[in-house]
Amino acid sequence: MKKYIINTLAVCLTVFALLAFTSPKEENNADTATVKCLLQLKNYTGKKPYVVVSIVDKDEKYQQTLYVQGQDEEWYNTIKEWYAQLGKDGGENIDAISGATINPGARAVIAFEIPTDKIGGDYKLRFESAVEDQEYYKKDLEVAITKENLKGKFDGTGYIRYVRLIAN
Amino acid sequence: MIISFWRYSHLALAVSSFLFILTASLTGIILAFEPIQQEIESPVFAVEEINTATLITSLKDNYLEVFGVKVDNYHRVSASVITEDGDMAEFYINPATGEKVGDIAQESSVFQFARSLHRSLFLKTTGRFFVGLTSFFLLIISITGLVLLLKRQQGLKNIFSSIIKENFYQYGHVYLGRIFLIPIVIISFSGVYLSLFQFNILNHAIFNAEIDLEKIQASPEISIAEFPIFKNTPVSKVKAIEFPFSTEVSDYYLVELQDRNLAVNQFTGAILDEDQSSVTNQIWQYSYVLHTGEGNLIWAFVLLLSCVSILFFIYSGFKITLKRKASKIKNKFKQADCTHLILVGSETGSTLSFAVWFQQELIKQGKKTFIAQMNEFSYHKNLQHLIVFTATYGVGEPPTNATKFETKLKSIEFINKINYSVLGFGSFAYPDFCKFAYTTENLLDQKNNADCFLSLHTINNKSEESFNRWLAQWGSLSELNFPKFEGELLSEKRKKKTYQVVNKTPILANHHTFMVELKSVKKQNLKSGDLLAVSPGENHHDRLYSLGVSSANTILLSVKLHENGVCSTYLNNLNVGDLVQASRLKNKSFYFPKKAKKVIMIATGTGIAPFLGMITHNTKKNPVDLYWGARDHKALTHYQAIINSAMENDRLERFIPVYSREDKKHYVQNQLRENIPQIVELFKNGGVIMICGSIFMQQEVLALLTEICEDNALKSLSAYQNKGQLLMDCY
Repeated sequence: MKKYIINTLAVCLTVFALLAFTSPKEENNADTATVKCLLQLKNYTGKKPYVVVSIVDKDEKYQQTLYVQGQDEEWYNTIKEWYAQLGKDGGENIDAISGATINPGARAVIAFEIPTDKIGGDYKLRFESAVEDQEYYKKDLEVAITKENLKGKFDGTGYIRYVRLIAN
Repeated sequence: MIISFWRYSHLALAVSSFLFILTASLTGIILAFEPIQQEIESPVFAVEEINTATLITSLKDNYLEVFGVKVDNYHRVSASVITEDGDMAEFYINPATGEKVGDIAQESSVFQFARSLHRSLFLKTTGRFFVGLTSFFLLIISITGLVLLLKRQQGLKNIFSSIIKENFYQYGHVYLGRIFLIPIVIISFSGVYLSLFQFNILNHAIFNAEIDLEKIQASPEISIAEFPIFKNTPVSKVKAIEFPFSTEVSDYYLVELQDRNLAVNQFTGAILDEDQSSVTNQIWQYSYVLHTGEGNLIWAFVLLLSCVSILFFIYSGFKITLKRKASKIKNKFKQADCTHLILVGSETGSTLSFAVWFQQELIKQGKKTFIAQMNEFSYHKNLQHLIVFTATYGVGEPPTNATKFETKLKSIEFINKINYSVLGFGSFAYPDFCKFAYTTENLLDQKNNADCFLSLHTINNKSEESFNRWLAQWGSLSELNFPKFEGELLSEKRKKKTYQVVNKTPILANHHTFMVELKSVKKQNLKSGDLLAVSPGENHHDRLYSLGVSSANTILLSVKLHENGVCSTYLNNLNVGDLVQASRLKNKSFYFPKKAKKVIMIATGTGIAPFLGMITHNTKKNPVDLYWGARDHKALTHYQAIINSAMENDRLERFIPVYSREDKKHYVQNQLRENIPQIVELFKNGGVIMICGSIFMQQEVLALLTEICEDNALKSLSAYQNKGQLLMDCY
């Protein structure tokens, strides 16, 4: 048993040594507009929500993920619609556009980049939210992607109290 | 089961949660490396000396737009910005210049994996619940452990006094428990506290600035560098700053400091709203840092060691439990039919193995015998013999399963005459040796219709020899013949080595003693005082001999030939050149002290063997007196040469033989009584007394020493024993 513990420990430490000091890299593309977004949550009782910001077209088809609030992949499937269409296949580098979850009642300033060709077209910015074991909101907040809308304040219907947007 | 409430809780919780605790500590070991790695890799800036105004202005100068700044537990400052190239980015900066100093490294997958397992066992909410519960269990286990430790060490005062060693696992469990109890309490408490947030039993208070929008002024506008709040706050006090969302006057700086939250007007620097951090949030912050070790290399290391120690606790805990669970109370007959009743008072159950064995032997002899815990005592009129086997707990108190004995006994009237005998188990290392056994005998003395069959006998350190002596007396009084109690058959567990006989003396007439000199075939590091376990063949119990190491590094055994002694006969039949299978047992508690101003050795008969080795190797010439008791001077024949040589080389100062059939015709203890001042001085000056020989001699000498300690206002004898000033090896 003692030997077993020592062996286990040795394996753990070796694996740690091999993997601990390696980490993946990321890349970025041009021709986008940076949108600054103030996300204010409602003061409800429960866990921190996972929030996904994505672009959907007029047929409700997901085009692109802009931002994911929540970094633990095991919960991504709670954002059901997005997960089914985009999140599951893992084609996007979510790590690059994700941030930490925030507490109910708290706010965060986040930013994402919208491709300029999607602005003024027939696209919507969708804020989708979920809390494990609680309600899932497919359209917590939805706003058409227009120049005018990218400078305004919008109220949410789920965990989001409001969102303020400013395009740079 | 004979276990107290504390012990039971300690054990039951440990058994029910050990798999979870095992997982948590293994992953904890891995996670402890994260803060260690981060601490090593982090660049160091003087965050105490840089003020927040400098940080904010340098960021505003360097970047198109700043969203926010964070300072983590490692005092690394990260900013989320839009760079001059128009890219969004978050990275570590130099707080003095605002320049990028490094990317925010993504957490490595090993840590991610370990953390997820540590927090939720990959079972999401269910897993988190179990982990939180496990943490709570661990807290209770530590607290019950503390109570057991306090009981064992007899109070807070003695918590760091030496531990009485029963075996490696018990010793290690207690020893490490003492060291790691506090870190483990901290780990488990903070773990529980952090889990409470997971389940919304506790919530983070959110600072929501309450601002009267109509009263917000944009003037007088001053430069950010001049904002008093920023000028006077060092970066080290900051946890996060959220920059104003836009240039509208209703948008403000949201500043989270270590102890409070602020909303600051972006034009005038006025504080719009302020809120102290709630106590819950502050405890959360402490719990988080203490649980993760973030930002403190030394603490992270303590956490690492604590996790490793938990692994040892699990392992040694199981070992101890398995050893103790060997005996169980089983009854074949109804108590009402039984003539013999054995009552057991024992905290850990070690006394029970003697009692169970005795019960079985009595049944074999045709005596209907019932065995029960002292608390379960009840009387039936068929009872003839009451035999009490009891340990003592704490300061002369009854063991937990004997607390109700006194009241029960008082309420009972013996209708028919009964005989009682009390047997006390204990360790001389504790003060109040077997005190509860004496109390029990007194209580029985006062009862009507109860006669003392055999007066109280005490047994030190579970000595089988001592038990057998009582057994023989009890047997002869009741005209029964008992075999010898030999305890567990341990011989198979020990590693055997081969030894060759290099010398053997003929047997000494009238004394039946002889000496054997053995040499290990393979090289071995032996010390005088170690034990040699010799067994003449399969299915025989080992006999233990205290060995001495001769000047030629051979093993000296001094043996008395017993009439029916399988082992001594076997040794006596050996010839020079023969090979012997035996195993050596280290006996560190009976080594010659490395530094002692004075050593008094007390031996009888063949017990002299280890001392012969010790004086032979006393190269530092520490003053040693050797008292040796025997029947007459002829017994000295085999030892004379070694003693003479040691005297000549100043390795032995005085040799005081005491003969019971010659000269003054008295015993070692009588001789010692004549030298009381020397003994008093020895205790005062940190000298050491070593005793090796018969149990009878040991008891007499200990009684004398106890008396000396009392008469001369010294500490209690057990205090000296715990300090290592009294070493014993008796059989």
